[in-house]
Amino acid sequence: MSVEVVVNANDLFEMVEQVWVSYLDPEGINPLIPTGDEEQSSEVHSSVSITGSWTGHVVYASSTAAAKKAAAAFLAMGVEEVSDEDVTDVLGELANIVGGNVKAMLPAGALLSLPQVVLAPDSATKYPSAERITGLYGLWEGEPVSVSMWQSRNDMNKEETA
Amino acid sequence: MKILIADDSRVMRQIVTRTLRQAGFGDHDLVEAADGQETLDKTVGEKPDLVISDWNMPEMTGVEVLRKLRAAGNDVKFGFVTSECTPEMQQAAEAAGAAFFIVKPFTAERFDEVFSPILG
Repeated sequence: MSVEVVVNANDLFEMVEQVWVSYLDPEGINPLIPTGDEEQSSEVHSSVSITGSWTGHVVYASSTAAAKKAAAAFLAMGVEEVSDEDVTDVLGELANIVGGNVKAMLPAGALLSLPQVVLAPDSATKYPSAERITGLYGLWEGEPVSVSMWQSRNDMNKEETA
Repeated sequence: MKILIADDSRVMRQIVTRTLRQAGFGDHDLVEAADGQETLDKTVGEKPDLVISDWNMPEMTGVEVLRKLRAAGNDVKFGFVTSECTPEMQQAAEAAGAAFFIVKPFTAERFDEVFSPILG
């Protein structure tokens, strides 16, 4: 089956913007500002896998400071009160929300995994059989935040040979 | 009224609780469940008036819980709050007897719109 990549950086931005409007910046004071800087660094990341009509990974990555700020906003607590467990849970939920929204844009027949969280830079996780196809890179109050999509090479080969 | 909030994510259970409060439903009795089996057990045991359930949970998915409840003759008001919202999922939810389908991320306004008719 040939599957066009139906999700681009603008779509990712719209999804992430909704998360900011709903939970992280309801007042509209500190939005995520896209920079397009693919090389920006991260300190923590989370991901969900999608299999079926499209196969690959959706990865959320940020600095530790941005993850703590997100956890504080999600859990309605002060940044100084945020524990590693809070950061882990919130990162997992962020990957789940963005991954679920990505899945909704894919052709029918895609399955979403439960999220995985790694408190280390996204470069620490390798996806040997997948290639980054698009991503949203930005700054939130000066802290790096990104969402990237990695497509399985087998999936890409299917497209080429279809 | 008693509301059961079912989600394997502690963060999301907390956000649902907070959003219910923001939407003006903070006075209801809230109970939580962290996986599909617990959702089924607590729906039967605690007899909530409303179940707000995640879709993708360990042990059993939310729609499997709903199907089991309906098969056992339980007609509790049951609906979904999920980050996944494909048409086939919405159809499956409706066919199983779901009362609502809320997509994450959600706002207090969306909760108000969906739950006002149910909770009054």
